[in-house]
Amino acid sequence: MSALLEVDSLVRHYPVRIPGGLFGQPATLRAVDGVSFAVSPGKTLGLVGESGCGKSTTAKLVLGLLPPTAGAVRFEGGHVPARRNAEWRALRQRMQMVYQDPLGALDRRLPVVAQVMEPLTVFKIGTPAERREKARDLMAAVGLTPHLFERFPHELSGGQRQRVVLARALILEPSLLVCDEPISALDVSIQAQVINLLLDLQDRFGVAFLFISHDLKVVRQVSHEVAVMYLGRIVEQGEPEKLFHEPAHPYTKALVSAIPSPWRQEGYERIVLQGDPPNPVQVPSGCAFHPRCAYATAACREVRPVLADIGDGRKAACHLLSPIASA
Amino acid sequence: MLRYIASRGLRALITIFLVLSFAFVILRLSGDPALLILSPDAPPEALEAFRKGWGLDAPLWRQYLGYFLNIAEGNFGQSMRDGRPAIDLVLERIPATLAITLPAFALKLLIGVPAGIFAALHRNSLIDRLVMSLSVAGYTIPSFVLGLVLVLVFAVNLGWLPSGGYTSPWHAVLPIVTLGLGGAAILARFTRSAMLEVLGQPYIRTASAKGLIWRRVVTSHALPNAAIPTVTIIGFMVGSLIAGAVVVESVFSWPGVGRLLVSAVANRDLAVVQAILLLVAACMVTSNLVVDALYGWIDPRLRSGRTVKAGG
Amino acid sequence: MASIETTPLAAEAEKAERGKLSRFLEAYPPLVIFGITWIAATLIVAIFADLLAPYIYSALDLKARLAPPVFMGGTWAHPLGTDELGRDVLSRLVISIRISLLIAFASTILSATIGVLLGFLAAHFRGLVEQVVLTLIDFQASMPFMIIALAVLAFFGNTLTLFICLMGFYGWERAARIARGLTIAANEQGYAASVRDIGASPLRVYGLHVLPNIASTLIVSVTLTFPEVILLESGLSFLGLGVQPPLTSLGNMVGYGREYLQSAPWILLAPSAVIVLTTFSISMVGDWLRDRLDPTLR
Repeated sequence: MSALLEVDSLVRHYPVRIPGGLFGQPATLRAVDGVSFAVSPGKTLGLVGESGCGKSTTAKLVLGLLPPTAGAVRFEGGHVPARRNAEWRALRQRMQMVYQDPLGALDRRLPVVAQVMEPLTVFKIGTPAERREKARDLMAAVGLTPHLFERFPHELSGGQRQRVVLARALILEPSLLVCDEPISALDVSIQAQVINLLLDLQDRFGVAFLFISHDLKVVRQVSHEVAVMYLGRIVEQGEPEKLFHEPAHPYTKALVSAIPSPWRQEGYERIVLQGDPPNPVQVPSGCAFHPRCAYATAACREVRPVLADIGDGRKAACHLLSPIASA
Repeated sequence: MLRYIASRGLRALITIFLVLSFAFVILRLSGDPALLILSPDAPPEALEAFRKGWGLDAPLWRQYLGYFLNIAEGNFGQSMRDGRPAIDLVLERIPATLAITLPAFALKLLIGVPAGIFAALHRNSLIDRLVMSLSVAGYTIPSFVLGLVLVLVFAVNLGWLPSGGYTSPWHAVLPIVTLGLGGAAILARFTRSAMLEVLGQPYIRTASAKGLIWRRVVTSHALPNAAIPTVTIIGFMVGSLIAGAVVVESVFSWPGVGRLLVSAVANRDLAVVQAILLLVAACMVTSNLVVDALYGWIDPRLRSGRTVKAGG
Repeated sequence: MASIETTPLAAEAEKAERGKLSRFLEAYPPLVIFGITWIAATLIVAIFADLLAPYIYSALDLKARLAPPVFMGGTWAHPLGTDELGRDVLSRLVISIRISLLIAFASTILSATIGVLLGFLAAHFRGLVEQVVLTLIDFQASMPFMIIALAVLAFFGNTLTLFICLMGFYGWERAARIARGLTIAANEQGYAASVRDIGASPLRVYGLHVLPNIASTLIVSVTLTFPEVILLESGLSFLGLGVQPPLTSLGNMVGYGREYLQSAPWILLAPSAVIVLTTFSISMVGDWLRDRLDPTLR
């Protein structure tokens, strides 16, 4: 099966200054440090991890909003440019983004229908009347009632605003939607509605999602495949049911054990992570997770594990799971 | 702290450099300096000699360099009116200007700061409204109008004070009052809003809630914090001690730098104008630097090197 | 007994009545109402100056030189008196209001435009461009504008166009700071970023989205710049370095009238009063607007 989106060894470093000396000392912030994955047409890849693990940077790199330090992003067989040229603009019709904060992403001074039709205006598709017609159709499709169309963003509820943002993202009929924490700013009761809407839209429009969230339960609900990120790298990847049922990587184990659930079996043990929270400026040597890992060995401190097949269609980057290949 | 001062010092140097370049560029843009300074009907040999003497026949970058070298040596050119070095003409006017701007500065501080603090502490009282109305009035009345009205009342009608000139200390009274009142109005407005902002902060409410005497809250918590924005405007006032009296000196025929500037501009005496421009820039930059250093002293957050925008 | 019951009621009614009035005065203080009225009046005068001026502003009437105004014993032929050349003060005042307001308007619009453009440039490109703009802002803010203006006038001489352009550099740094700050905020997390990510051109992002969103804050900052430009213009004209005769402006009238401070104070008192009232009104209305529209701005 040919992939819609292919990400190959993507790296994004930022030069920063840490305190020390007259002007601080130069250091490198490793936001994304070699990430590879693929998304198939009409499918959803969930990307999970703590805040600061590089999820949002990955999203921006995928969309070409940021130039990568190294690595490549391929979309529908073509290279994604990281500069805002004509090619980049043309790509906007095929891949769109949904933001965490729908109120911030909407212009307070325009009625929402004008904002939904704006992508059509930008790309000069159709007449103004046709654009408006299409915007109204799509807004109805995402579950907005017509009397809301001419309202301003602050007159809508959080869930309604996110529907507006979704309608705007879908109006160009993209094949990929990158959703960066699309529901974490919403009330819990609204979250479920928006998740159902996303699944429904995927069925109807055949759009693929790159779904970024720190909420494992949500990711499990929407994803066909899940990748767990830690300090700029993917540590485990696989189908959600298997991955959450039998987490392989110690970090995934800790994350899964932290999901609140009323149906815990006997002998359940919550793993509480020890040690310093991850700092992308000072990434530990070897396995980045070793300072917090209960099972760390001498090898983990020195050799960085690679993401390798552990059978069952799953991959993990851990020395305990795959014996050290000559790294 | 060191880093903070260093970056501020760099900014100061850049400002001086910009002022110099600004003067150089507009001097070159405004036409042939030889024609401007010597007058177009000067003999061609004289024009040629002038161009050679000023290096105007050299390529532009060498002129630019030479211009900086000249200034570094303190050579600002000659006044076209009496042929004396421009910098001497300017320097000999400074005492007269300081004779009115320094007392006026004291007057601004003595009236403006207490009035602003008082108004803020008695917010919305009658006195607050009075202070604020006077302050807006003081701010919107141009100094030449205020000066002329004072002359009309105290010199023409009452005959108490002389209207212009500089022969006795009494002559300085009206210029000082004119300058002082206008500045006091601005300072009062500034101090009041700085105080009000500080008084609205949670730590002031905390301090008074935990039972500190209000007077102590004000003196040890509110005042030091309100001083930070106020110091900026005071710094600006210090910087304009030399050049802040252009209009007032003209109203009262006071022989200071400002009046020299006005007559130099009217006569297009470019060397003098340029010397004053640089002097003013040097004063502003120095006082800005002092203000920045004071900030670091008043506001410990800055010592770590973070810059806080003063606004304004 | 009845009286005891009615009194509180009457008092309450009276209190409610007074509450209404005081609430109105709270929302529209008398000085603000006065300011708005005065601004409207000066605008009307400026627009219909030709119709309102009883004489041509430069017409000489040598027989009626230094005639006092009506309230100082003059005649209705020259309600505000005449100057040393017998020119009608009222006519000159009306034309001066037009010129001064014209300069102030043109310059303020120019300075707001320059400021917003540079602010957008700084926010759009960041990096070196932003540093250059910030340095220019620092430079402009740290030099007294009067001195810069005088230097430019010395170097270039004076025409009305040049003078307006020069005044147009006053206060641009305030608009630039506001535009830059708000645009960076919008670009980083908000509506502007999302429109940019759709693929909209910078022109569309800044013209159609950012500008309308920051307009109210900008307008408030313009109300700070406008009276200051009037003061600056009248100061320079007073010194004889601003608007040049035969044209006239408010500051220019005061400057030439000061020679006659003792014998004919009305020549300079009328334009002085207009300057003060106009700047005072705009400041009052500006403060009031600021409190209503944008409490975050000082």
